[in-house]
Amino acid sequence: MFSDISSLVIDDLCDEPSEEDIAIAMFYCDFRDQQKQTATNIIGAILKQLLVRGEVLEDVQSAFQKAKKEVGGRGLRLPDMVQMLKQALATLPRVFICIDALDECIPKHLLELLGSLKGILHESHKTRIFFTGRPQVETEIAKYFITGIIIPINPKTHDIERYLEKKLEMDTECDAMSDSLRADILRIIPQRISGMCVRRSAVPTLWMILY
Amino acid sequence: MAYTAHSHNTSFGDSNINCNNVTNNDNKIVNVNNVIADENPEIMLWLSPLDPKGRHQDVRTDRLDGVGSWLLETNEFREWRSNEGGADKAVFFCHGDPGVGKTYLR
Repeated sequence: MFSDISSLVIDDLCDEPSEEDIAIAMFYCDFRDQQKQTATNIIGAILKQLLVRGEVLEDVQSAFQKAKKEVGGRGLRLPDMVQMLKQALATLPRVFICIDALDECIPKHLLELLGSLKGILHESHKTRIFFTGRPQVETEIAKYFITGIIIPINPKTHDIERYLEKKLEMDTECDAMSDSLRADILRIIPQRISGMCVRRSAVPTLWMILY
Repeated sequence: MAYTAHSHNTSFGDSNINCNNVTNNDNKIVNVNNVIADENPEIMLWLSPLDPKGRHQDVRTDRLDGVGSWLLETNEFREWRSNEGGADKAVFFCHGDPGVGKTYLR
C-alpha cells in the first residue's frame, strides 16, 4: 500500500501539466537490502537521479576526478555527499524527493538520513520531501521535521478486497485453491485489517496457504 | 539540453522512470539521462551502489487504479505540493499499519 501510494504521488507529480520547472528523485527502501542502504548511499542514489543538468553533472564529475587522485578513488563520506546534494539542489529548480518505507531502514541509518535531509532542507527552500513508513517512525519524523505534515493512512475495506481479488486471480497454484478457502480469504483478511486488529501472524498464515 | 524542451518541464534522473502519460518528450528526458548514466558508469557507482531504477516501474505496473487517490485530493497534500505552506510544509509523511502493505502480502 505504501509503495503504491509513493508511486501514485510520483506519477501525480510528473503527470501534472505545469509551467513550473521541477525535478523528481525517489528511493524505495527495502529491508532485503538494509546493509547497503546507508544514509550516504541513499543520498547518493538521489543525487544520481538529479544529474540532469550540465552544471550539476560537471560539479559531480570534478569532485569524482579529485577523489580519484586521492588514494586511487576513495569513497564518499556522508558530509561530502550531503554537500554535493546541497550544491545540486542550489542549481536546480524545485525538487521533489520521495522516499518510500522508511521503517525498512536500520534505525542508525534512518536517523543519519533524516538528520542529513533536515540540514539539506534548511538550505534548500525549494525542495519538498515525501516519506512513507509505518507508525513507529512517526516520532523520528516529528522530531526532525517539527512543522512537517503527517497523515495517517487507513486502508479502505474495498481497497483491500480489490487487492486480494487481484492477487487471487494471479495465483499460479490454482490446484491449491478451493472456493471455501477463497471465500475465507476474501472475508477474513479485510475484516481483520479494516478493524485494525490484525494479528501480525494472521495475514501471512492465510496467505502462505496460497503458495 | 533536450530535456529543457519537455512540455511539463519535468526532469527524471532515473533511467527506468517513466510516467503514465508517456509522451515523446518524456522519452527524451529518459534518453538524456540514459546517456549520462551510460557515459559515467564509474561516477554512478561512486555516488551509490544502490540503483532504484526499475522499482518504481514495478510498483506502478502492479498498482490498482484508484487506490490511495484520495490522498492527492487532500488539502494537506495540495499545500505540500504547491509550496503554499513554504518551508514549514516541506515534508509530507504518510504512515499506517502494515496490514495491507504490498511488501507484507507479497
